[in-house]
Amino acid sequence: MSSLRNAVQRRAHKERAQPKERKRFGLLEKHKDYVVRAKAFHKKEDYLQKLKEKAANRNPDEFYFKMINSKTVNGVHKSGGDSDKYTEEELLLMKTQDIGYILQKLQAEKKKIERLTATLHSLDSQPSNKHVYYAEDREDAKRILSETKSVGGLPAFEDLPESIKRKTASSYRQLEDRKNRVQELEKVYNEMALKQELRKKGKKRKLREDEIVCPTSRPVYKWRTERKR
Amino acid sequence: MRAPMRGGGGRGGGGFSGGRGDGSGRGGRGRGGFGGRGRGGADMTRGGGRSGGRGGGRGRGGGRGGRGSGMKGGSKVVVEPHRHEGVFIAKGKEDALCTKNMVPGEAVYNEKRISVQNEDGTKVEYRVWNPFRSKLAAAVLGGVDNIWMKPGSKVLYLGAASGTTVSHVSDLVGPGGVVYAVEFSHRSGRDLVNMAKKRTNVIPIIEDARHPAKYRMLVGMVDVIFSDVAQPDQARILALNASYFLKAGGYFVISIKANCIDSTVPAEAVFASEVKKLQAEQFKPMEQVTLEPFERDHACVVGAYRVPKKQKPAS
Repeated sequence: MSSLRNAVQRRAHKERAQPKERKRFGLLEKHKDYVVRAKAFHKKEDYLQKLKEKAANRNPDEFYFKMINSKTVNGVHKSGGDSDKYTEEELLLMKTQDIGYILQKLQAEKKKIERLTATLHSLDSQPSNKHVYYAEDREDAKRILSETKSVGGLPAFEDLPESIKRKTASSYRQLEDRKNRVQELEKVYNEMALKQELRKKGKKRKLREDEIVCPTSRPVYKWRTERKR
Repeated sequence: MRAPMRGGGGRGGGGFSGGRGDGSGRGGRGRGGFGGRGRGGADMTRGGGRSGGRGGGRGRGGGRGGRGSGMKGGSKVVVEPHRHEGVFIAKGKEDALCTKNMVPGEAVYNEKRISVQNEDGTKVEYRVWNPFRSKLAAAVLGGVDNIWMKPGSKVLYLGAASGTTVSHVSDLVGPGGVVYAVEFSHRSGRDLVNMAKKRTNVIPIIEDARHPAKYRMLVGMVDVIFSDVAQPDQARILALNASYFLKAGGYFVISIKANCIDSTVPAEAVFASEVKKLQAEQFKPMEQVTLEPFERDHACVVGAYRVPKKQKPAS
């Protein structure tokens, strides 16, 4: 029976929209929207109520150190006491570990460079070394001069496929990148090592501009010599 | 980089219909693509050619064997002979000096090996010659005119150490030549002997090069003496050995480390004084190269021994 009733075409009820003149209030609120809104409101209300009760029942003698250690700066709460979270030794150890990591990366890069340079001999570039010929007399020298001109460099790879040229070039590029990376890592490592040394005990002072023997733009420190034993 | 080439492998539109079919298409391309090439192609890493797309090659996995496996669309390395006989140049991912490996499949000091397939299917293996570890390689890269070692030469090698360079010299002279490798230290001599076990043309001699009389029974006349002893009296050591073993008109190659001779004077002066010493010992130095980017304050001097006097035109 019910299926028969379902078969009969019925009128579709459309959802009521916000009237045009009330458009400025946004979408028309339905009951389910209201329920969500009301629940959120009451939750906040209850929370505030609880906080108010707590404040009213506060023990005026209650004390925590955080009350004097922390403060608000421009309305932002700042908890103090963070600076002495780690002792000096602990900090030193942590820095050592950081340095150790950098050093490890540095050595790995160096090893990779070594492996690359073993197979990349820059055969196409002109050698940068010095080549001396020994001649007995003037004629000999002339002969050598004329001969060395005729001796060409390396065999020319005329018809190298493009793919191989690209591979060689990319290998050289990789080598160059790694060399740059090593330089940067070395810089970082030196910086960290210096900082670590400065953290250690021992009297030291920064040298003035005119005291530095070999000029550099970077700070130079001098430790006072100390008798160890 | 091979992935894009796959579509062009004579198959074109068939690519989507089934990944399995792709495998067979690949073999076909390998045969066709290489026909006209003059020199051998090489296959360094088999797995390198696996493309990531559509699981095409999955069925065959790593075993992409069969014929023509190394000869895909283009070779990965090209090897050509160097100006010096027995030395080769490999171009590809590497740009390196190399020698033809006498013992294929074996590296002596973990150097890189490059195997290349000829047109007739035979495989040739080359070993990369590291100029940072070998002064002779550094000299070759430094553009020395002649090292006088070629296939078939007999070479006396003083200061062989662990035999890294000796192995390359043994490659260079080939089965027809001989390398007598002299080393005093037992520790590095052990490596030298182990290397010589696999190379029939190397004769290891664990003796002091200052006393050639001790090994005169082992060594015949040689064409070239290579000396890398790094001793203050290395010119004298070379002269002693040359007087015993070097044929008249033979050649010498000596590597000079300036610091080992005199560290107080500039390197140039040391080289000059060494050359003077050599000239006094019947050697005729012909050329000298510094081993600059590879070694600091090193030089390699090449020359001849007991050269007959030039006929002076009657004046």
